[in-house]
Amino acid sequence: MAPQVFQLAQTPVTSHAFSADRNQVCVSFNNNEAQILARRGNEWAVTDTLTEHDKIITSIDWAPNSNRIVTASQDRNAYVWEQKPDPETGALAWKPTLVLLRINRAATHVRWSPKEDKFAVASGARAIAICSFDEENNWWVAKQLKKPIRSTVLSVDWHPNNVLLAAGSADLKARVFSAYIKEVDEKPAPTVWGSKLPFNTICGEYSSPSGGWVHTVGFSPSGDILAFAGHDSTINVVYPSGPAVYSVRIPSLPLVSLTWTSENSIVAAGHDCRPLVFSGSEQGWQESGTLDDAKSSSSSGSGFGGAGTPGNADVRGQSGSGSTSSDTKLTTLHQNTITEVRPYEIVGGEVAKVSTSGVDGMLVIWDANEISALTSKLGGARLG
Amino acid sequence: MDAFRKIDIDQYDEDRLDASELYEADPRDPAAVLDEAKQRQAAVRSTLARSDIPGALAIVLENAPYGPNVDDAKDVTLQTLLSILNSTKSTEITPAIKALTPDAQDTLMKYLYKGMALPGWGDISGSVLLGWHEKLTEVAGVGCIVRTMTDRRIV
Repeated sequence: MAPQVFQLAQTPVTSHAFSADRNQVCVSFNNNEAQILARRGNEWAVTDTLTEHDKIITSIDWAPNSNRIVTASQDRNAYVWEQKPDPETGALAWKPTLVLLRINRAATHVRWSPKEDKFAVASGARAIAICSFDEENNWWVAKQLKKPIRSTVLSVDWHPNNVLLAAGSADLKARVFSAYIKEVDEKPAPTVWGSKLPFNTICGEYSSPSGGWVHTVGFSPSGDILAFAGHDSTINVVYPSGPAVYSVRIPSLPLVSLTWTSENSIVAAGHDCRPLVFSGSEQGWQESGTLDDAKSSSSSGSGFGGAGTPGNADVRGQSGSGSTSSDTKLTTLHQNTITEVRPYEIVGGEVAKVSTSGVDGMLVIWDANEISALTSKLGGARLG
Repeated sequence: MDAFRKIDIDQYDEDRLDASELYEADPRDPAAVLDEAKQRQAAVRSTLARSDIPGALAIVLENAPYGPNVDDAKDVTLQTLLSILNSTKSTEITPAIKALTPDAQDTLMKYLYKGMALPGWGDISGSVLLGWHEKLTEVAGVGCIVRTMTDRRIV
């Protein structure tokens, strides 16, 4: 099936999160508001606008079972949004609850834990706030993971056991922490990451040989494997009991977001403007293709100019380039950096479809099994 | 500009992150690294005498010196590498690059950029470096350039 393409705006989509039934999506268009869009056939219409932040929203997550949205922003705050009836009209409206993050820098990324009783907020304050609900005061309180983080935390991902948390940071490290909260969690069963897990236990610390900020981290569905990708154009897969770290170099620009689709495959995307597929096992990992077959891009009629296209010939060090100034459309479907890739549809325990949002204002739903070989190694940066 | 504006305020930050903490230091002794670089220089000379370009490149790019206190070894290695680059015919460049391991390709890119940052040093020729850069980018992609920028193990 061809990818479903929605041009939501002409501005960047910084983050997107679907509701459980996939009929609504919460997005932010690179500003201080989050918008809830409802699907009407092949269009998305704005139904609600969440206004409480006063700086750019950096990350959004929608809890599927409790139907709560959490937003994180550069204003150093996070809010939990719940649909409640208006006392006068009785109509359902999204109401925010304050979260006491206690951070003095931007919040960069947020994710609900699998049981939806906690969430983790990454921040520029060299800390991750693990938030749980305080019934007495009717707000969310945070306990901070600080050591040994040395720089901005760029991404977090929960282990399926609701206790372990992976974090990628600008100090070039991917780490696995215990985010065990006594009041919320039951004692977790031992995992490959460890058995005694008081709060802030460091269960693993990894980095890519060629360095680079760690943009994205993700546990495999079982939680036994960790993947991370950084600004050095590599993706790394960690088997903690191995102990083996497989580092896959990619020939294109860095990946900024990843999602596992099964124990043996990952979809990742970023500055190369197209989702790449990686596959492997304990024996090793490799790139196995892309979801963007380059044919789909010609069918999408949008004339949205891709920023970063002109000058690619220079970037690549090509001495002769045939591209003309009017020819600014990339050969990929997304016309600019992909900001986030997330699972969209799960069939039989494996992710069958993934969604991506981009700086080009597009939201795209891809069939995760339609993998085509890479024709050009350079993706968005075309051959001249 | 007033003097106070030139103060390095980071030195007063207890939590500062020093560049040396961002990569694993080379455990070898600087003198040993220099010896090794000189041995490689000799090995490359004899390999070049047999016109074995890929072999010569593999020798010089393996375990290349990085980090502080090994500037002499770095200079010898750059000199050795330049002697290979300058004596390669343009038709032999692409096959030579394809014969390298991905690690060696990344290291080669680091040296190309180092060379371009030192115009006039030794027998650096801008056009030779750019020729290699073009061919290396065709084989290893822009990812190779990205890794040159992010890698703190500076050659």
